[in-house]
Amino acid sequence: MMEFERRGVPTVSFTAETFVRDAHRSAESFGFPELPIAIAPLPFTNQSPAGISAMVDGFIDQVITGLTVDVRRTQPKSEIITVSEDWLTIEGTSELDALDQMNRLFLEYDWSDGFPLFAPVKSALDRMLTGTTRDPNEVIAILEPGFGKATVEKIAVACVMAGCRPEHLPVVIAAVEALADPKINLRNKAMSTGAAAALMWVNGPIAKRIGMNSGICALGPGAPSYVNAVIGRALHLCMMNIGQTYPGISDMDTIGTPAKFSMCVAENEAASHWDPYHIEHGYDKDTSTATVHFVYGICELFDLTSYKAENLTEVFATAAKNAAQVCTGLWLIGRRADPRYGTEEKEEHTMFICPEHADVFKADGWSKDDVRRAMHAKSRLSFELLMLSKERKAFDAVHPELAWLWDSPQTMLPVVEDKDCYNLVVVGGTVGRGSFMWGSGAPVTKVIKT
Amino acid sequence: MNLSVRNPVAESIVQTVKPAPRVADLNGKRIGLYWNVKAGGDLALERTEVLLHDRFPDATFSYHRGTVGMVMRHVSAAEADRISKEVDVVVGTSSD
Repeated sequence: MMEFERRGVPTVSFTAETFVRDAHRSAESFGFPELPIAIAPLPFTNQSPAGISAMVDGFIDQVITGLTVDVRRTQPKSEIITVSEDWLTIEGTSELDALDQMNRLFLEYDWSDGFPLFAPVKSALDRMLTGTTRDPNEVIAILEPGFGKATVEKIAVACVMAGCRPEHLPVVIAAVEALADPKINLRNKAMSTGAAAALMWVNGPIAKRIGMNSGICALGPGAPSYVNAVIGRALHLCMMNIGQTYPGISDMDTIGTPAKFSMCVAENEAASHWDPYHIEHGYDKDTSTATVHFVYGICELFDLTSYKAENLTEVFATAAKNAAQVCTGLWLIGRRADPRYGTEEKEEHTMFICPEHADVFKADGWSKDDVRRAMHAKSRLSFELLMLSKERKAFDAVHPELAWLWDSPQTMLPVVEDKDCYNLVVVGGTVGRGSFMWGSGAPVTKVIKT
Repeated sequence: MNLSVRNPVAESIVQTVKPAPRVADLNGKRIGLYWNVKAGGDLALERTEVLLHDRFPDATFSYHRGTVGMVMRHVSAAEADRISKEVDVVVGTSSD
């Protein structure tokens, strides 16, 4: 709507009561805090036509006012707390008490992910910055939705708070670069009612050097995954305090997901007969990379029985055929896109293939492309089922050439656009249990510079 | 015992969009109804047309939606230019 205001056309936007705070926060960060809104008591989604009409009857006067009365900020602000001081002094009866007070304050300010934070004191920050040769003031990226400047120093602050060590900093810097890549469309993920969380995987020599876990419980908690956990945590803190992705203010995730606390692994390159992910994508083996992919959830790829590649992909395909996942068949109504950058993304999935399953593919001589081809061939659902949760008008607008499908609703269609929508990464220990993660758009890879 | 800690919040680049001048009256105006393709928004806009037409019988209405995106659709710059020439005001859905 701001694009119309920018062009001199007054607007009013419908906003559900539950999203008013989000609407103001968005409008503020996009430079239009006066945004006139007409407030509906509920979102229109999942409402009956009669219910929607009744809601419009109730707010029509707000529509007229918004278009005809000079806009002033008459609505409550988004309540985001701004603190201008560069350094905050926290008082306590002891260092531990002061740390506790800091954690309480950071929770009050929405700066915390909910777990206790380490204190970003000067000595810790200076030590963290020894992890890179980059200038602390260098702006690595601008993170939406808040258009925050991700300087090396602010990323280092997030790393300190997360519990990182200096050698972890370059990984987080690369991941922040990935977040800001227009192809990620961060605003779309950060401000959604959906539970897309930043999954990160690391390739190349740095993973082993800094002690990342690529084996047993790599995506889980505990000492073996300490490095993975704190790097993933730091990335999410960057989204919060640099990009202003604050839960309940701009992140309107309906239920939420524990994946947003931290979701980071290294590829188990030693256990794979395939080229690792980064080499597959054009980097050399001595280059280290961080790849970020926003994903909605994790489904186990359990199969302790199959010893043929064909059978394994038959089982794996059932994960892709989950019609309740937002991304399933989403290509029928378009692509995730950001008109500001002209970017478009296909919906891609990430599969963590455990070494034992990788060995099954190896025994049958299957390449990654063979797996992708099989997944694409087997992961199909009927047009009728795929369209149950989608807007018919959107399909009709995007694919007029496929209008015949309405007369053949049982036609089986692939759940994603093509075979390359399946990303394969070898991760984990030596039992036949992998992970399938439904993606929100496509992954982005950046080089880790130390 | 005091702790001096770094403010973790980054400086933001301030964006500014000047609000468009409002119209004095909707009578005789071209009212654009913009749907972002989120479920139910089209029905809300249809009801809006009915109610506004009752109060402003000389107003005219046109329906628009973005061509960019999927579950939530946006207008391209070219579409925003075109629609802005065709309407005097816009009522629209911007989220759910």
